Amino acid sequence: MSLEQQAETVGAFVRGVVERFGYADASTAVRVEEDQIVVEVEGENLGLLIGQRGRTLDALQELSRTVVQRRGDEPSARVIVDVAGFRAKRIAALEAFVRRTAEEVIATGEPQELEPMSAADRKVVHDTVNAIAGVESTSEGTDPGRYVVLRPAGTAREATSA
Amino acid sequence: MSDLFESPSFPEPELEEDDEDGLEDEASEVGAAPAEANRAAGGRARAVLEHVATSIVDEPDAVEISTERGRAGLVLSLHVAPSDMGRVIGKRGRVAQAMRTLVRAAAASEGTDATVDIVD
Repeated sequence: MSLEQQAETVGAFVRGVVERFGYADASTAVRVEEDQIVVEVEGENLGLLIGQRGRTLDALQELSRTVVQRRGDEPSARVIVDVAGFRAKRIAALEAFVRRTAEEVIATGEPQELEPMSAADRKVVHDTVNAIAGVESTSEGTDPGRYVVLRPAGTAREATSA
Repeated sequence: MSDLFESPSFPEPELEEDDEDGLEDEASEVGAAPAEANRAAGGRARAVLEHVATSIVDEPDAVEISTERGRAGLVLSLHVAPSDMGRVIGKRGRVAQAMRTLVRAAAASEGTDATVDIVD
């Protein structure tokens, strides 16, 4: 399947889910961004489709990926599904939190461990920390308990990344 | 993942619903939306499961779903072609888990609970 065909398939799949949830007024938009497919659902009262901490949204995204991975003949595109801007808001909240934590680390000189996070969230943390002078970040532990530690620059004990 | 953060956790963006399980409260609101006539509770959960399963498998015609009303809600038994079992389960059960999560949310939208059994 071409990227455009995959996008069409994923869009139809998500639209079908949204309809069957009874969200008659929601709209589902699909676009192709470089090598990834982005599906955005907008509408009122979509909380159930997001779920606690985005769990239902993550499930919808996982299934959307599975749908285009049906035939393993060609590499499948990356698929991002968002509902009511949840992912974008969540990343903004995570970045703001990391910036506050980084300031504390710089001010106190003490490292701080963050909660365990997915690889995607850890990347957001590393990217945010990278843009701030005087602090650095490393990942420690193993998934699903892998977490990021923020330390004053030059004090990292082990140089692991992501 | 962990709800037991000792370190400061970042605030999650606010959703329309704010309760711990994320399942009960919204049901009444959604249920108040124009409901399809005489749709049995659980119809959405079943419709969502059917849509997801037929979209994922190689043999959609072999997808069958039987419904039972259990004590804790609906029990949906999913049958697929033997060659499609791997697809609906996925690596480390990820696809099956995602289907269960989505179907449960659909059931919650009509005020019930649903579990999915994948049977061979």
